[in-house]
Amino acid sequence: MILEARHIDKYFLEPEKRQVLKNISLVIPDGELVAIHGESGSGKSTLLYILSTLDTDFQGDLKIKDQNIKTLGASALTDFRNKHIGFVYQFHYLLPEFNVLQNVMLPAMKLSKKAKEEIIEDALGLLDEMGMREYAKRPAYQLSGGQQQRVAIARALINNPSLIIADEPTGNLDQKNSHLIFNLLKEITENKGKTVVIATHNSTMYRNSHKTIEMIDGSIRP
Amino acid sequence: MSTHVFNKTNIFIALQYLSARKKQSCLAAIGVLLGVTTFIVMINFMTGVNDFLDDAVFNGSPDIIISTKTKKQRDNKGLIISSVLENSNEIDKVLIENENVHSFAHQILTPAILISDRKQFPASINGVFSEKEKEMINLERRLVEGKGFQSISQENTILLGISLAKRLQVSVGDQIKMILPNGNNTNLKVSGIFSFGITTIDNVRTYISATTLQGLLNQKNGITNIHVKLKDRDDVSLKSTLVEEVNGIGVEDWKDSNKTIVIGNKVRDILTWSVSFALLLVAGFGIYNILTITVIQKRKDIAVLKTIGYSSNDIVFIFLVQAMIIGLIGALLGCVLGYSISYMISITSLDTSDFIIVETYPINFKMFYYILGFSFGILTTIFAGYFPSKKASRVDPVTIIRGI
Ligand SMILES: Nc1ncnc2c1ncn2[C@@H]1O[C@H](COP(=O)(O)OP(=O)(O)O)[C@@H](O)[C@H]1O
Ligand SMILES: [Mg+2]
Repeated sequence: MILEARHIDKYFLEPEKRQVLKNISLVIPDGELVAIHGESGSGKSTLLYILSTLDTDFQGDLKIKDQNIKTLGASALTDFRNKHIGFVYQFHYLLPEFNVLQNVMLPAMKLSKKAKEEIIEDALGLLDEMGMREYAKRPAYQLSGGQQQRVAIARALINNPSLIIADEPTGNLDQKNSHLIFNLLKEITENKGKTVVIATHNSTMYRNSHKTIEMIDGSIRP
Repeated sequence: MSTHVFNKTNIFIALQYLSARKKQSCLAAIGVLLGVTTFIVMINFMTGVNDFLDDAVFNGSPDIIISTKTKKQRDNKGLIISSVLENSNEIDKVLIENENVHSFAHQILTPAILISDRKQFPASINGVFSEKEKEMINLERRLVEGKGFQSISQENTILLGISLAKRLQVSVGDQIKMILPNGNNTNLKVSGIFSFGITTIDNVRTYISATTLQGLLNQKNGITNIHVKLKDRDDVSLKSTLVEEVNGIGVEDWKDSNKTIVIGNKVRDILTWSVSFALLLVAGFGIYNILTITVIQKRKDIAVLKTIGYSSNDIVFIFLVQAMIIGLIGALLGCVLGYSISYMISITSLDTSDFIIVETYPINFKMFYYILGFSFGILTTIFAGYFPSKKASRVDPVTIIRGI
């Protein structure tokens, strides 16, 4: 089990106290594509931020790679995320001051385990897999939405994390690009043995996943 | 995992952000440059003037002058002469016992008329004991022509201030006639010409041997003033000691005699610091602004950097480095420009004024001022950059990503 969540509750205090996640328990096995679906406002994003360790303000237990997240301090958590978790956003956010290759390299440069040449090689390899190699030297803002999302996936993969978390990764794309991105994410699980957790409300997408979790009003449908 | 925030990657990111806003970054750097340049030029110039005046005036006059309270007295012919210090032995005793006295010298001072072949002018005649006076004033450094105090140990020689010599149209070796208030007169040979650079001194001051003058004034062993040099010039407690212990004397310290210059120095100091401070403050605001705007505009980027593994400290560093690079470039160029402008001023020739005699503006070139200006520039930027950087590090990625 790469990820185990037990009895997770999440409250928002503003504007008034409200429970957004109610007693969420789930286990996610290695090497699967898991889709979380549910209506808008059902708490998918909130859950993903917790699972990706960005949000630590919750009740319950979270274990990723057998590491209890709550025992990690802020900087240890940042390092943990850098090493083990890749994150893809709905709005495929690339840094506009950097070119495509540099965007992909940024997490690896922070990890600084490899020499720069090696990182460049890895990044170009990933861009190749995403069909984006020829754009390596382009400024990030010149790419289309679908292209940016492919670069964002390459960036999520650069440190070879075991877990990729994507919050509505195709929410902003047309059908053709959505399909392409979904297949890329599926390939990642099948060819690279990574675990991918996505939030989506696209039915073709969650039907083609290995496992689906449905959320209704902050709870998991049994 | 890199634990130190000071690493190539963070600097690379900082540089990338800087070069994406070249114009604003350059403007911010120019702000620092102006602050540092102004500081250096002003402090070079102001302290140059201060030091010049200190040197000329304070070294041309003793730290403490003791004379009688009754300034003037008429002799039996009705002529005004400076009155003689009656209790010089008593004073000497106090001076010898005082810890802060470096040395002291007796003088006999009188006005006189000097007459050369062509001209005549009034002058102030300082009768000095050359061995003692040497310790008071470094005349050797001030000599323009001829010899210093050692030459007046012979009788009938005189040292003249340069402006006086020019007006009398005499040079070393020439003869002049001196007429004293009591009518006595004598011929003197000019043995040296000095310049303190201060018109009021160089116009009137002359030195002759005290014994010669005492003889001419019929005041055997009489003196009118005692000049004192202190070990610690700022400690003028000797003044009150003297007034308490010896009756009927007037004591003046260097601050009294050079009030306008002491005040002038203070005004120049205040000007230098306040103008430089104001300019650096403006420069600091420039940096604060550009970084604050960058932080607000780049909230999303900061959030992304945080989600992909950059810590809060990394973010602080990335933004602080931007401020520091701006500051470093501005401060370095400021030092260079400051030096250039100071140099130009230092070779600009100056019409001799009524007050001081110099060929060019006095400028200080102390390394220390460049280090100071540079440090101020850097400190300003660090200070101005710190708050926006801290703000950047507090960006909460979840809040931002939700909003993207
Ligand atoms: N920062 C917040 N403060 C208060 N309520 C929030 C905040 N973020 C989300 N919510 C609320 O929490 C609920 C779940 O939101 P979210 O996790 O974004 O749902 P989903 O991603 O499934 O659309 C929604 O009702 C939303 O309005
Ligand atoms: Mg959502």
